[in-house]
Amino acid sequence: MAETKKTKKETAAKKEVKKQAAPVKIKEKQQPRIGVFACHCGTNIAGSIDIEALQAAAAKIPNVAYVDNYQYMCSTPGQKKIEDAIKEHNLTGIVVAACSPRLHEPTFRTATKEGGLNPFRFEMANIREQNAWVHMHDHEGATEKAIDAVRIAVAKAALLEDLIPKKVPVEKAAMVVGAGIAGMQAALDLANAGIKTYLIEKEPSIGGRMSQLDKTFPTLDCSQCILTPKMVDVGRNENIDLMTYSEVDAVEGYIGNFDVTIRKKARGVLTPKEAEGRGLVGGGCNGCGDCEAVCPVIKPNLFEVNMKPRKAIYINHPQVVPLIYTIDFDSCVKCGLCVTACGDKKAIDLEMEDELIKVKVGTAILATGYDLFPIEKKDEWGYNKYENVVTSLEFERLICASGPTGGHLVRPSDGVTPKKVAFLLCSGSRDNTGVGKPYCSRFCCMYSIKHAHQIIEKIPGVKPYLFYMDIRAFGKAYEEFYYRIQDEGARFIRGRVANILEDPVTKNLTVMADDTLLDRPMKLDVDMVVLATAVQPTTGVDTVRKMFGVSNSMDGWMLEAHPKLNPCGTTTAGVYLAGVCQGPKDIPDTVAQAEGAASAASIPIHMGAVELEPYFAMCIEEKCAGCGMCVNLCPYSALALVEKDGRKVMQVTEAKCKGCGTCGGFCPGGAIWMQHFATPQIVAQIDAFLLGGEQ
Amino acid sequence: MARTKGYPAPLEEKLKDTRLYSDEENPQFTKTVEKISMTIPHMCYQCGTCTASCPSAPRSSYRIRKFVRRALLGLEMEALNDPDLWLCTTCYSCTDRCPRDIAPTDVIMAMRNLAFKRDIVPVNFLKTVTAIYSSGHGVPNNDVNRAAREKLGLPRDPPTTHGYPEFIKGIQYILDYYELKKNADRIIKEREG
Repeated sequence: MAETKKTKKETAAKKEVKKQAAPVKIKEKQQPRIGVFACHCGTNIAGSIDIEALQAAAAKIPNVAYVDNYQYMCSTPGQKKIEDAIKEHNLTGIVVAACSPRLHEPTFRTATKEGGLNPFRFEMANIREQNAWVHMHDHEGATEKAIDAVRIAVAKAALLEDLIPKKVPVEKAAMVVGAGIAGMQAALDLANAGIKTYLIEKEPSIGGRMSQLDKTFPTLDCSQCILTPKMVDVGRNENIDLMTYSEVDAVEGYIGNFDVTIRKKARGVLTPKEAEGRGLVGGGCNGCGDCEAVCPVIKPNLFEVNMKPRKAIYINHPQVVPLIYTIDFDSCVKCGLCVTACGDKKAIDLEMEDELIKVKVGTAILATGYDLFPIEKKDEWGYNKYENVVTSLEFERLICASGPTGGHLVRPSDGVTPKKVAFLLCSGSRDNTGVGKPYCSRFCCMYSIKHAHQIIEKIPGVKPYLFYMDIRAFGKAYEEFYYRIQDEGARFIRGRVANILEDPVTKNLTVMADDTLLDRPMKLDVDMVVLATAVQPTTGVDTVRKMFGVSNSMDGWMLEAHPKLNPCGTTTAGVYLAGVCQGPKDIPDTVAQAEGAASAASIPIHMGAVELEPYFAMCIEEKCAGCGMCVNLCPYSALALVEKDGRKVMQVTEAKCKGCGTCGGFCPGGAIWMQHFATPQIVAQIDAFLLGGEQ
Repeated sequence: MARTKGYPAPLEEKLKDTRLYSDEENPQFTKTVEKISMTIPHMCYQCGTCTASCPSAPRSSYRIRKFVRRALLGLEMEALNDPDLWLCTTCYSCTDRCPRDIAPTDVIMAMRNLAFKRDIVPVNFLKTVTAIYSSGHGVPNNDVNRAAREKLGLPRDPPTTHGYPEFIKGIQYILDYYELKKNADRIIKEREG
């Protein structure tokens, strides 16, 4: 096709290729004429670098035809300077010495294009992040380094070629991984925008952590009540293909064309639709629960944080979506009692096996949520050692009307209603010892205040004590909520609990803390302790993360493309983040980010096609020996060997190639041309640096 | 400083602000303490885990958190002149539990060293120096201990300088090298005559 033609020409004569591929006509047989523009960036750059000296030095660099500077090159007048100079001075390449290309490369490429050049004839010299900011107190050194940077950029700009971005079509479908509140919201938004959405959930039912909570702060509405309508919507939406008890098995492809393999775990129970597929019309699980009644296996219920039993065939709670039972094959003894109880609905298949399903999607959103930090690692608070020390999630189940105690808060040791309860904030958060988590888990302050309210409301005469370091009531109506609960009688003690002791007979607890505001150590006897436990990324989420090519930040959460300006995106095009998997956040923020991610993920789908940066590798077929060593090296499976004119040569699938350069650097015959990072361009840059401008 | 309320001089003197510490700060003190202690008191967020862990605090006015705060603020003389500085038992519970991974015990040790350089040290600590100089032990063996050891089937004296008195010389050499004994003797003499 067009590419092969281009490749041949490329090797024959580079100059000609330029002409061939250029959308805009460039003056024939011309020496490179480079325009250099230095940006002051207010005082960000001009404060450390002598812009005049830089401009004077740049004017002497070979091939530089025009130099200029401006306060803010990224502003409209700054961009206009580039456009005008290209036209007036017949420039063939543009160098802007300014900030990191990460932010403004697209800006200046557009300006270059507006001026009539191919946008890839632009090269950026970073003299802000890598220079002015780090050499703030070395004026001369910084200026010298800036001159070097400009000379290097000019050397490359002189050899830049016209490149045409490749357009690839985008599959009109999306995937959301994780069906907690973030995933559900994102899936609903995508589906309502007319996009077919695959919602993948590893648990048998959707709702995630939010379905385990009793009430939500600061409005105190019941978590299930506001969640169930959304769960039902997800279950009913025609555009949502809900896959519960399923996990992502493999991901291939790139933005617009992700081929995802989903492992549908054997749940042992057929949905009515699946039953129909097997020819059992009117069969399949209707959620009657007859099977559960006869099942002889009893296991701890994970949804109730192990505080309630469940059978080997189970549903998590009465409001589950979808209302389909699941068999835990790890504990099922295959006695067959459930099969008999199910009768002619024939919903149960004890021999069911995992199923692999392949789907193609254009974009994907990860919403994998969080787990609690294993707080027993903080030995001094005695979790798992003292019966009456519980985590906040256990507390949520104990205070929840649908929980194991029907909403009556009792002590695990003796079932007695506690009269004095201590809440330990920052349990495992803001901890730099290497045991806990150094970050703030962000929602513990507020839910602990809510917990205090809940016990005051339910238990007359109860006294909640909140041990805190700082109360972070940052959200809308949060500070007012804090005020209200303090007014209700919650006792706030500014001090972190050093350790907890247990009376071996009564199982009462003694909390040791320093009332730092009174400067007096205190010893408080309480009936129960609730640890506002730190959160951490879901166990095993790293596998999913890596499949989608998403990085994580130092704290283990998934890494957004930009912490402020692109919090939903990732460094992999077409993959977005929603909810706590990107970092701790409360429900309002999670929903907001989910809607943001859904919007971002719908853009390429609605555009129908995406432009890929033309940084792909190209095979110089004359030089290619067909050894095929590059094929195995490619991390993106973009290369293949093909028969051509009776011999084997390498061929690049351009849409898959990310231009990483692994193949180009390795090729023993020098037969791989890395567009925009070609060997002659890089050699020229090195020469420009080492030879100080001499040829 | 120069602000007056226009009262007569004696009343002005009486009403003077005496409880402010702002101009006592010595940033060098923070650095010196950090260098000696090899820990980071400037990172303290005052949660109180140290004081709450402290076996001394419930029985005395000793507040380890306060000393870390003084290290952070550079309140040199307030820290060194506080007799509570000498109430730490060096059990290291605070160091075990500090969520900011500071070693408050080592902060105290650094401050004690700095105080000693200024001859600020209780006499009982100096007597310990004398005891170490003569026996190699801060708490030398005594008859009650010896009887207990015998009962447990142990030798009457442990295999330390008690068992091998010829090694006391080495300990004395170290104490002399740092002039610890000399200074201790001098200060005891100054205080007790």
